[in-house]
Amino acid sequence: MEFPLNHNNPEIMHIDLNSCFATVEQQANMHLRGKPLVIAAYTNPSGCIVSPSIEAKKIGIKVGMTVRDAKLLCKDVIVRDPDPLLVRDVHIKFRNIFKSYSPIVIPKSIDEAIIDFSKTPALKRGLIQIGKEIKQRLRDEIGEWISCNIGIGTNRFLAKLACSLHKPDGLDVINYKNIKDVYRKVNLVDLNGINTRYEARLNANGIFTPLDFLNAPEHFLRTSVFKSIVGHYWYLRLRGWEIDDVEFKRKSFGQNYSLGKKTKNRQKLSKILMKLCEKMGRRLRKAGYSAKGIYIACIYDDYTYWHKAKKFNKSLFTTQELYLKAQWVFNKQPEIKVISKISVSCYDLLSSKNSQMSLFDIQQEKQKKVCRTMDNINDKYGEFVIIPALMMGMKDVVLDRIAFGGVKDLEDLYF
Amino acid sequence: MNEIINEKVSTVSSYNQSNGVVMPRKIKWQGRIYIINRLNYHHKIRQGRTMLHIFHVTDGNIDFRLCFNTNNLHWTLEEVCDGISS
Repeated sequence: MEFPLNHNNPEIMHIDLNSCFATVEQQANMHLRGKPLVIAAYTNPSGCIVSPSIEAKKIGIKVGMTVRDAKLLCKDVIVRDPDPLLVRDVHIKFRNIFKSYSPIVIPKSIDEAIIDFSKTPALKRGLIQIGKEIKQRLRDEIGEWISCNIGIGTNRFLAKLACSLHKPDGLDVINYKNIKDVYRKVNLVDLNGINTRYEARLNANGIFTPLDFLNAPEHFLRTSVFKSIVGHYWYLRLRGWEIDDVEFKRKSFGQNYSLGKKTKNRQKLSKILMKLCEKMGRRLRKAGYSAKGIYIACIYDDYTYWHKAKKFNKSLFTTQELYLKAQWVFNKQPEIKVISKISVSCYDLLSSKNSQMSLFDIQQEKQKKVCRTMDNINDKYGEFVIIPALMMGMKDVVLDRIAFGGVKDLEDLYF
Repeated sequence: MNEIINEKVSTVSSYNQSNGVVMPRKIKWQGRIYIINRLNYHHKIRQGRTMLHIFHVTDGNIDFRLCFNTNNLHWTLEEVCDGISS
């Protein structure tokens, strides 16, 4: 089935804050402005950089580098750890600004959002005008150092591509008139969703540029390149037809932790596992769920990994239940090795209101009540005011962090 | 360089009824008075049911992170930063 380019007026806007974590930190601390600054997960030399400032990017510092590498590029680079509460506040403020233009605002990550302007009165003023106004409002209402990239297109894919054309502080529109010119200027990996592996697959099928990709017939993409319906989706996406407005239901809750000090000490790892289960359990219960499955993944010091998932007959609700099962799955590791990253998730979610009561296990209901009471105490007096004994001495371990590109954890902000 | 302080400080603050902005104006820390001339960012956080107001302010030489606890009305200087690499 052949489709033409989408000739409709662009109604989707993609907004991306420039170097979000670093810019927000520069907004809060005037003396960091105009200087190379990096926000790193940890400030030690092996800490991973999550956000370099615009000034740091200019000297070649990139996301994913270590602090050690950044210091080699610029010895005076300022290193700070993230302030998740500050960044979340900025996220809520910019989301409220966007909500004043359209009821359909979809956060894509902590620093990115999509506004769907279809059928809104704001369309009459023109999206370029609104884009300029949003940039100004971000400066006026959040802070003068805050800047963003704005992309406008007929679908989310083109809006995102337009957003990445001129960084920082850009405003671009992609429509049927300039789409081929834009594709001519970018590479395959500049397209959102095409990484080096997809690029290799496209190259193997004679597609070397986005323009080749656009000109490829739908049948060829579906049957030869992607060998699935994905080929059809790409065919539509590249022509500006919306294919990505799908909402995914939450299917799991998870926490992961990169160990500052790698270890194979079972006692230390059990404590970390307990804290991860407590954080995961708090979110699970707050959202009104219980879970039947536990998944554990470990990345070892030698870059190998192990993971295992297990479903149980009984639904898991309390931290104690989650932890016991997580520990049981964790102990299934075939060999004891030094762990550098550990993840725990619970899946197969059930509404906690409709959970089946046990006929024989009368302790279960009592444990649930204790757990709810502990949650209430923590809600009232602050996180981790009352904790399981196993979590003692864990105050500065597994700190609050913002998930990379995560969208689902943003739901917690809107509760 | 930034440094975690977490010390209670004496503070003079102002409230502007025309724009609704509350801002610390003077702080006394370790016997010295710092005149605040700029509010860089203000946000609220919750510690349980206690609302904390965080003010990122500057006197032109140092950036201060001040916390106002709405439960006990105490001001705490949480952090200072002079923007120099450590």
